[in-house]
Amino acid sequence: MNAFIEAIIVISADGKIERFNTTAEKMFGYKAEDVMGKDINILMAGPDHYRHDNYVERYLETGKAKIIGIGREVQALRSDGSAFIAHLAVGEVGWEGRRRFVGMLRDLTDTKAAEERKLRQHQEMINASRLTTMGEMAAAMAHELNQPLAAISNYASASLRMMKSGDENLEDIETALQHIDAQAHRAGEIIRRLRDFVRPENISLEVINVAAVIDEISPLAELDARANNITLRISVADNLPEIVADQLQIQQIILNLLRNGVDAMKDADPENRKLRMKAYCSAPDEVRIDIIDRGQGVPEDIKENLFDPFFSTKSDGMGMGLAICQTIAKAHSGRLSFLNNPKIGTTFSISLPTKVD
Amino acid sequence: MSDAESIVYIVDDDEAVRDSLCFLLKSVGIAGNAFSSGNEFLEAYDLGWQGCILLDIRMPGVSGMEVQRQLSERNCALPIIFITGHGDIPMAVEAMHLGAFDFIQKPFHDQELLDRIQQALATYRETQDELALKKEVQERYEKLTPREKEVMEAVVRGHANKVIAMDLELSQRTVEIHRARVMEKMQARSLASLVKFSLLRNS
Repeated sequence: MNAFIEAIIVISADGKIERFNTTAEKMFGYKAEDVMGKDINILMAGPDHYRHDNYVERYLETGKAKIIGIGREVQALRSDGSAFIAHLAVGEVGWEGRRRFVGMLRDLTDTKAAEERKLRQHQEMINASRLTTMGEMAAAMAHELNQPLAAISNYASASLRMMKSGDENLEDIETALQHIDAQAHRAGEIIRRLRDFVRPENISLEVINVAAVIDEISPLAELDARANNITLRISVADNLPEIVADQLQIQQIILNLLRNGVDAMKDADPENRKLRMKAYCSAPDEVRIDIIDRGQGVPEDIKENLFDPFFSTKSDGMGMGLAICQTIAKAHSGRLSFLNNPKIGTTFSISLPTKVD
Repeated sequence: MSDAESIVYIVDDDEAVRDSLCFLLKSVGIAGNAFSSGNEFLEAYDLGWQGCILLDIRMPGVSGMEVQRQLSERNCALPIIFITGHGDIPMAVEAMHLGAFDFIQKPFHDQELLDRIQQALATYRETQDELALKKEVQERYEKLTPREKEVMEAVVRGHANKVIAMDLELSQRTVEIHRARVMEKMQARSLASLVKFSLLRNS
């Protein structure tokens, strides 16, 4: 069994590792003796980490396999905490009178790289067209706003210079003043558009399923996390009640908070590069989404300003992301809050009221 | 060359910014010539242009950095000042590594920009003057006879006439005559300026 090119892992019916071949040792960076008897979960990253229990249980109860004999791509987790994509085929064997599962894994990292590039391009397009995160939008707005402001400043200072030098041409200065007026209006128009974007009456409310909303953005979020060597784990509670919200804006808040989480761990040690997102029912009439990072936490002295517009701790930040997130949450009669975790990092939470029947 | 021949070439996709920059330059008596895209500028560009380039780093279509790359391929010696916006600093730093003269972040004060433009124009003039002098020195050098060239090399290496005479197996008097001819043909008024010309020629 050790001569196989594929990693072969045998687990018991309750998910404990019983065999681990040399290819598996290389692929995962564990020694066989280190993983023997451990739960198979330690080798799984991303959503698979949590789903696995359900799969095995369901199979044992119903006999309905989601994977046996079919094979699918999974996110696997190396001993150093980095994730990789692998193809997993599972077979069921019974020997010594006990049920066991044999998993065969092939590392798809290289094959995946090409696919990922394609996916990333696609996601960038999506990003540009609709899922642009708040920060990016604000940066684009700032760029746009800078143009008329630069023009106004140039016209005004040039006019002053001409008048001071005494050889001003009134016609030139009149034209400059007209341009200044027009550019001031242009700047106003840009600001009006920014405000429209987050104005409550422009929210298109619909009944949405939080799990589906998260499912839709998770590939993008996982890509972003993986690009920064961060493991993203998403868990969504079963049977979440529906909420009434603007799907796009909720996705934007989530993406923005996940992005912040990734940013917060840019310089974190490998063992702390873990981002978690949990969606659950926090009260009978409230759905809550927690985004838990293991970054440096929010320093005490800036806690009060964190949601202020144009307040940023990032050198290239606009300071608009959280401000807009909060505006959107409020427009949904929801709440955006944060709390430093007891040990490390910060948890940002969005609470949204559930649909009232 | 004089200020009058210098033109500031402005490349910016925003019409108001372009127009206002031209107006700002006009207020200090500098001629501006504006282009609305990198492509438009690259198509019009001619090696004979003199002055400097004010280049928006972020433009739709051909980016400012791409314009810089293509200009450098075409041996353009015009200094480039990049205009950058919020969050473009990493790009601007890269542009500086690739030989940009300077960058200025929007929003900027007019004086800040004008100062940089003046510096760019002055630097350009200096390099142009130096290039012209280098060309002139090379022409003078080529008028020397092979023997005069030998004497000149020895002189700028600091050798005394007596040593040169021995090395080249000439009389000291002959070396003196050659030396005088070198100084005359190279239009060097002193040994120091001859050394300077030699360094310039070999630079």
